[in-house]
Amino acid sequence: MRDGNGWTSAGLLSRRGFLGTAAAGALVTAGGLWLPRAAHAQEAKKGGTLRLGMEGGTSTDSFNPMTLSDEVPISLCYAVMNGLIEFDGAGQPQPELIESWEVAPGAKVWTFNIRQGVTFSNGKTLDAQDVIYSINLHRGETVSQLKGNLEPITDIKKITDTQIEITLSQGNADFVALLGDYHLLVVPDGHTDWANPIGTGAYVVESFEPGVRAVFKNRGDYWKPGRGNFDTVEIRYIADAVARTSALQSGQIDGANRLDPRTVDFLMQAPNLHIVRGEGTGLRYVFCARVSDDPYTNKNAVLALKYGIDRQKIIDNVLNGYATIGNDHTVAPSNPFFNADLPQRAYDPDKAAFHLKEAGLTGSEFRLTVSEGAWVTSPDCAQIFQQSLEPAGIKLELNKVPADGYWSNVWRVDPFCAVIWGARMTADESLTVSYSTASPMNDSNWKNETFDKLLAEARVELDQAKRKEMYATCQQLVSDEAGHIVFAINDTLDGYATTVMGVDKHPRFGMCDLRVAEKAWFA
Amino acid sequence: MGRYIAIRLALGLVTLISVTVLVFVATNLLPGDAATEILGRGATPETLARFREQLGLDDPLVLRYGKWLWDLLHGDLGQSLTTQTPIAETIWPRLVSTLRLAGLTALVSVPLAIGLGILSAAHEGTALDRVLAIGALAAISFPEFFTAYLLILVFSVKLGWFPNLSTIFPEMGFWESLHAMVLPIVALACLVTAHMMRMTRTSILSVMSQPYIEMAFLKGVPRGAVITRHALPNAAAPIIAVVAMNLAYLVVGIVVIEVVFVYPGLGQYMVDAVAKRDIPVVQACGLIFGIAFIGLNLVSDILAVLVNPRLRSPNRGR
Amino acid sequence: MTRLRIPPTAIFGIIVLALFIGFALIGPWIVPYDPETTVGRTWSGPSAEFWLGTDNIGRDILSRVISGARTTIGLALVTTLLSFAIGVSLGIFAAVAGPRVDAFLSRVIDMFLSVPVLIMALIVLTALGSSIPTLILTIALLDSTRVYLVARAVAVDVATRDFVDVARLRGESLPWIMAHEILPNALPPLISEFGLRFCFNFLYVASLSFLGLGVQPPQADWGGMVRENGQAISFGILAPIWPALAIAIVTVAVNLIVDWLLSRNVRPSGASAEL
Repeated sequence: MRDGNGWTSAGLLSRRGFLGTAAAGALVTAGGLWLPRAAHAQEAKKGGTLRLGMEGGTSTDSFNPMTLSDEVPISLCYAVMNGLIEFDGAGQPQPELIESWEVAPGAKVWTFNIRQGVTFSNGKTLDAQDVIYSINLHRGETVSQLKGNLEPITDIKKITDTQIEITLSQGNADFVALLGDYHLLVVPDGHTDWANPIGTGAYVVESFEPGVRAVFKNRGDYWKPGRGNFDTVEIRYIADAVARTSALQSGQIDGANRLDPRTVDFLMQAPNLHIVRGEGTGLRYVFCARVSDDPYTNKNAVLALKYGIDRQKIIDNVLNGYATIGNDHTVAPSNPFFNADLPQRAYDPDKAAFHLKEAGLTGSEFRLTVSEGAWVTSPDCAQIFQQSLEPAGIKLELNKVPADGYWSNVWRVDPFCAVIWGARMTADESLTVSYSTASPMNDSNWKNETFDKLLAEARVELDQAKRKEMYATCQQLVSDEAGHIVFAINDTLDGYATTVMGVDKHPRFGMCDLRVAEKAWFA
Repeated sequence: MGRYIAIRLALGLVTLISVTVLVFVATNLLPGDAATEILGRGATPETLARFREQLGLDDPLVLRYGKWLWDLLHGDLGQSLTTQTPIAETIWPRLVSTLRLAGLTALVSVPLAIGLGILSAAHEGTALDRVLAIGALAAISFPEFFTAYLLILVFSVKLGWFPNLSTIFPEMGFWESLHAMVLPIVALACLVTAHMMRMTRTSILSVMSQPYIEMAFLKGVPRGAVITRHALPNAAAPIIAVVAMNLAYLVVGIVVIEVVFVYPGLGQYMVDAVAKRDIPVVQACGLIFGIAFIGLNLVSDILAVLVNPRLRSPNRGR
Repeated sequence: MTRLRIPPTAIFGIIVLALFIGFALIGPWIVPYDPETTVGRTWSGPSAEFWLGTDNIGRDILSRVISGARTTIGLALVTTLLSFAIGVSLGIFAAVAGPRVDAFLSRVIDMFLSVPVLIMALIVLTALGSSIPTLILTIALLDSTRVYLVARAVAVDVATRDFVDVARLRGESLPWIMAHEILPNALPPLISEFGLRFCFNFLYVASLSFLGLGVQPPQADWGGMVRENGQAISFGILAPIWPALAIAIVTVAVNLIVDWLLSRNVRPSGASAEL
């Protein structure tokens, strides 16, 4: 497996799925055919109205790709628009509106071929100019949340109507995965009317009331074979978990996201439902100590907390077992660069007491800020944390604060607080965003030169074995020294009526990577 | 009376403007602004600054409020900061929804509450009185979301009689809409009926000791007639106040019921807007709530004066 | 006429209230388990081991209901007393101090009532932070505006009666009239309102804890317990029923006592006239 890397030392390199099959890799280099994963398993049927009930949106949502931040608006956008790159079930980037790509050595200059024969809902044919415009929405004078990630792009050139060239300031072997970000949706050149989206997706908007529902009609002749199967898709905003599960049980909706792990066992027994569980693909639950603030400047203090948390008990009692244990860094366990040799930090009150003593803090009290705004069960997790610290003689005071304004008020302000981190598709992005010195999101304020240097080197390293070793060291450094107590990664839990076919777990988001509208069909 | 109403209306307008100032200042005092809330955690200081400029958040508070008031006087509620669409378009269907739910609930609960209250007072101390009291109290002592969950469990999941998603869509017919709204109406009626019923009972009983009631009894008027014809009008002031308070609650305070039954009304719209610091939307909702509240209060005061002749005497100088 | 017998409903009310006040006083010494420690699985049903089952993180519910009595009843009592002290005195003052004062006070109160509770609570939180004293103050102030409405409505009514004019002519001071003429006559509806407000305040604590203003974990309060365990009811798990039942029982008990007090106050003349 390890030597099956997708990089060759020929003059031009082609990216293949690192863990993907040879066939899938060849498909990319051959460039052209678009095949949905597992489409051969069952023939998709056309027709019907899919009714979804989802949490993760508000009455302030729009189709603006620059300000997308939660599951409902992202799902709405994926119904009418396409991305440049799509991630497959193994988390590997696959062609979407970008059909194939080539990269020069050093991973600085990338050439992308745009898919031909795709039309927008306004009749226009997709060309290089549309793609450049759509990427540039997130560059320069923009309010886009993606701006920081695209900063390394120094130039985007149109070569032909179907080919563009992107130059980076520094090499990045994972650049294609970056283009798979959900903000990078393709709209026609010059489009700015975000209330009336135009895209190349399977559906067009029939009606949209933010915070209430969106109704989509099939455009017909979707360019992805076997996808975009429903005549109509209705996505309703259902913020309350009980309302969602009740509606699903009584057949008022066909699918629901974010099921409560504590009651999902009951739903699994229902004969008319099936539950899709994405193991360890959801949110990383973190208690974040800022290592630039006392007492967390002392490595032993942070270690005492890391050994003093009973991860398994939190997973069992709060998350009902629907989570993967975390090892104090944010890299996904399913990632090919995940350091499986790093021993799992276990609950050990004696070690916790030892480190507390080493830190000279015996008898002092820590204060953890939690809120339902971080994640709903964070106060519950924190209470078990508090209990598990007791045998180590560590006192933890809990400070529960309002959900309102949590991310601007508490996060990055309070020295010890609850934080969630979403799934990132590459080890580089996970580590860079959360732990590099330059990252504005490095919330534990951990600064380590060795780490920064290693990360930059790994980014351009083309030997996969070496690269894996470098990332392994990075994870070890973070796990031992950074201020993140990453105690669990939750499972995504979605429920569907048994009549809904073609739904599968996905390493990035639940609801088939939020593309259930185009991926699923009725039996 | 006409002069009194005119003065009250003028005062109401002043109160309303103070409410909008208060809401405006208050939401601006909250930490964070629309830029930080919309752009979220990934925002850099640079993008934040640009977004603030785009949204006009850099202008001084007084200027922004002045502009809002000026637009309002010209009949313009302004644009939402987050969706960049006119607020009037979004708020109208939600206002209709809220008023529909509040109106239907009031239609059920006010007559029910006053009727049961009178019944209770007429049969004071009997088993009926006690059963009514205990039933009503039990209904309000469950948190509103919990009452709602119980209703959903029984009538939606187990029996399947009513849907638990109560959103009304344009394509739905009259009866279908009414069917969808049954559960939220029942849940709300549970919440407000007890309060009004208890106040009706107590107020009636408290005037029963007045000399003119004793006179009526001595004249041989039956108890039921004494209560409805003599006691009720004199006991009306606190009942009307409590009814108005509960109606105001139905318009302003039912966010939880809206969320649980997925009935998108003004309450949830305002909560979302507060969370995103979409101040023009918060202002618009605050304005509507203010009008509703001040209006109801005015009507209740006028009614209290009308039903109680003694309040009309000129020496109160109102 | 001899003293009225205490009706059985009132006796029931007194016993229940005494029981819960007992819990509030000696709760920490009689609980079977530490109410703040996880002792079992999450949401296990009632059993010989855990009489009422376990809660959302596996703590013993019985222990939490008992130990929650102190916080819950204490908070509700203090906030209700405070809100009545403020609301009733302002309401009666408005009724007797003349039309200008009345108009001014009433409009100010209108203003505060018109601002949605969510925003008011958030402001207080931001300004004062979240602690038990803030919680008490916030609920008492928000609630006093509503008490004011009722108190004023009743007092205005009473103020028009002849004995108030007589007192004025006698040259009695305003506070004296408020305390000796208005308050006693306005008492019945106010006591009834007190019984209900007391109950509403149980729930108020819970709904504000939704905003993060409330009892800090791991302390137990009944409203918060219903909230934490609420979604379990949709699958027939009984965990949230017990704290809800505790609230309901105390509410009913308090109001049965209120009814009895009212009937002692009110009954004689009306009822005797009937005889």
